[in-house]
Amino acid sequence: MIRYALTRLALLLLGLVVASVLIFLTLRVLPGDVAQQIAGTNSTPQQVAAIREQLGLDVPLPVQYAEWIGGLLRGDLGTSLVTGTPVAAELAAKAQITVPLGLMSMVVAVVIALPFGIIAALRRGRADGTVLSFGAQAIAAVPVVWAGMMLVVVFAVWLDLLPAQGFPREGWRDPGRAFSALILPAVTIGVVEGAMLMRFVRSATLAAMGQDFVRTAAAKGLTRRAALLRHGLPTVGLSIISVLGLQVAGIVVGAVVIEQLFTLPGIGRMLVADVGLRDLPKVQGELLALTAVVLVVGFVVDLVHRGLDPRQREAS
Amino acid sequence: MLRRTAFSAAALVTAGTLLLAGCSGASDPSSSASAGEPNPDASVNIRLVLEPSNLDIRQTAGISLDQTLIDNVYQGLVARTAAGEIVDALASEHEVSADGLTYTFTLREGVVFHDGQPLTPQDVVASLTTRKATPEWADSERLANVASVTAEGQTITLTLSQPDSTLLWNLTGRAGIILKEGDAVDYNTAANGTGPFRVANWRQGASLTLERNDEYWGDTAQVADVTFDFIPDNQAAINAALAGEVDVLVGFDANMTDQVEGGGEFTVETGSATDKSVLAMNSTTGPLADVRVREAIRTAIDHDAIVEAVGAGQTLYGPIPEADPGYEDLSDVVTYDPEAARALLGEAGVEELSLTLTIPSAYSTTLSQILVSNLNDVGIDLKVDRVDFGTWLSDVYTNKDYELSVVNHAEPRDFENWADPDYYFTYDNPEVQSLFAQSLTATDDEAAAELLRQAARIVSEDHPADWLYNWASVVAVATNVTGMPVDNVNARINLAEIAKSDG
Repeated sequence: MIRYALTRLALLLLGLVVASVLIFLTLRVLPGDVAQQIAGTNSTPQQVAAIREQLGLDVPLPVQYAEWIGGLLRGDLGTSLVTGTPVAAELAAKAQITVPLGLMSMVVAVVIALPFGIIAALRRGRADGTVLSFGAQAIAAVPVVWAGMMLVVVFAVWLDLLPAQGFPREGWRDPGRAFSALILPAVTIGVVEGAMLMRFVRSATLAAMGQDFVRTAAAKGLTRRAALLRHGLPTVGLSIISVLGLQVAGIVVGAVVIEQLFTLPGIGRMLVADVGLRDLPKVQGELLALTAVVLVVGFVVDLVHRGLDPRQREAS
Repeated sequence: MLRRTAFSAAALVTAGTLLLAGCSGASDPSSSASAGEPNPDASVNIRLVLEPSNLDIRQTAGISLDQTLIDNVYQGLVARTAAGEIVDALASEHEVSADGLTYTFTLREGVVFHDGQPLTPQDVVASLTTRKATPEWADSERLANVASVTAEGQTITLTLSQPDSTLLWNLTGRAGIILKEGDAVDYNTAANGTGPFRVANWRQGASLTLERNDEYWGDTAQVADVTFDFIPDNQAAINAALAGEVDVLVGFDANMTDQVEGGGEFTVETGSATDKSVLAMNSTTGPLADVRVREAIRTAIDHDAIVEAVGAGQTLYGPIPEADPGYEDLSDVVTYDPEAARALLGEAGVEELSLTLTIPSAYSTTLSQILVSNLNDVGIDLKVDRVDFGTWLSDVYTNKDYELSVVNHAEPRDFENWADPDYYFTYDNPEVQSLFAQSLTATDDEAAAELLRQAARIVSEDHPADWLYNWASVVAVATNVTGMPVDNVNARINLAEIAKSDG
């Protein structure tokens, strides 16, 4: 187990290094620069050149990369060229919205996916099971933006129960308002992600039902449902943990769209704005941090999976 | 057509919404249509489309900084009204000498910065001289003709090396902002001005809140605070308005007027604007170097249909909009006539012309769809390349690597770009440049405007671009809000008069 963990950790670090190079290089392919953005459309070339020099944008690329990595090793994610604030501080501030949003979306997704996925599996071949499966497929195909709009129209405009957009100015100092500002966005992401997850739960449950130990349990006199719940579900749970790990990436992507739609000043919205401004030092810090989160979640999921699943332990 | 369909679907949904809201009795206390007494403790929320990338008014371009901070937080010796008239601000009076070389301003007494420090004549001298000497600051070149700035008592004197008919106007903008000398404020995230509001809270990606400055030298503001909410999406903005979260919507699609007005809590007002939607044609190479091809393109465009599709604004056939000096109705220069356009293309010997239009992706697709269809009608195949604004700035603006481009030029009085052969328009006409230079040195406003008028006609007749339409400033205001400016809100939003009642 320890050897496995170390190998896995080495892979994680390698992944981060590769990601840093890729992020750095791909961002440099983007046309345009932050000096031109700051100067705007009524600027003179001299003005742009002066700003470029002021921001130190004339440094060669390898030097820029080395400076960035050097900073990272000292725990410094860099500084925004536009606002002059440290990237780490900005990330921490925006994470106070995006992390709770992600967690809430995940809860919504699981709450939808688990029961309905299992029911759909148990009811396979019957009308209600088919309706559930098709429903999930249809919802999974709904664009997040449209889903969000509909929820806003119903819960904010018609019923006036929840805010239509924005996050309270005082942040989490008023937890009730902050929480209610995240409900619609989280439900929007959660429903769509949940529908996708439900299809997975359904097929995992079906697979578990076909496994020998469930069939054995059933043969010993348990009902099919009881055999599944008692013996099959733990294996379903394990595979769901893996899928949830993968869904972190999906939720990050969902957050980018949803934060735009609901004007939530989270990491997704910051990222879009910074790419638009070509504030590359900030964008690369943000992207690397997000990549690290996804990779670390994958790492943890793998370890947990291995720790919990006796079959995998025996194999090593 | 896709977009129109999406539009009407959204409209239907919202119409249904409004019906239901009407049935449920709308218990919202702000629903009363009668405007009562202004509440001095009121907060007003104003939706804007664009947000500032930082708050540094000295250096960072972008219309959102002008909209939010100039007049409200930062002030100059002179200011402009929403209608474009120049009025005194930090100066109590000003005078221009007959030869146009000496400007004297009397600095108001008793003005304090938001940090409590009094405004001194030395602050004015330092602000203007530093601006002029710092090329990376926005509009620093607009003070190029200022030879010296001196102060004696409360009298500030600007001495010019040559007359500059645009100087006063320029002093109402970034070039004329008065800052505290050697201020230690972090301009990126904070501000220290003399205006009726101070920056209270800036949340990047969401909002900017200004609060009333109780030490203001003039009449203090009538609301406790104003929050600008940056909501790019029109439908999201309208939903926020219908849910009672914003009181004023600036810059939304005029086609959505019915949605906002339906509940009776908002009225939509249309003001004048100097925004020009410019279809620039790169005339340096290829078929577009032939003036007949450019004229054919302009003749092929149905400008009335564009105005109708956009839902607000008016046609414009030259570089100067009606609200700016030098305007003349140039509709005689081009008439929509596909037949004539085809003939012009034939005369130019152009067949199977294929052109690419580079347009920022943030713009609605309506315009490019009309252009594709209009040009297709006369045998021009138009490809639309939607790019993000950073790419547009680099490819089109800086490198002039484009064939056709559409961008909204919001700035008032920006004729100078047609007299600058290095500008991305690629338009180079010595006669226009000379007329513009003469208008700059004119000491009489009427004479300056007349020279601009002549230059603008020449520009239009050379067809270096097409002016698709002159935008209108569309603002939806809650019925309990008064004093919201309506004209030119894409450039400036002076909140000195805004008030909100509980009614």
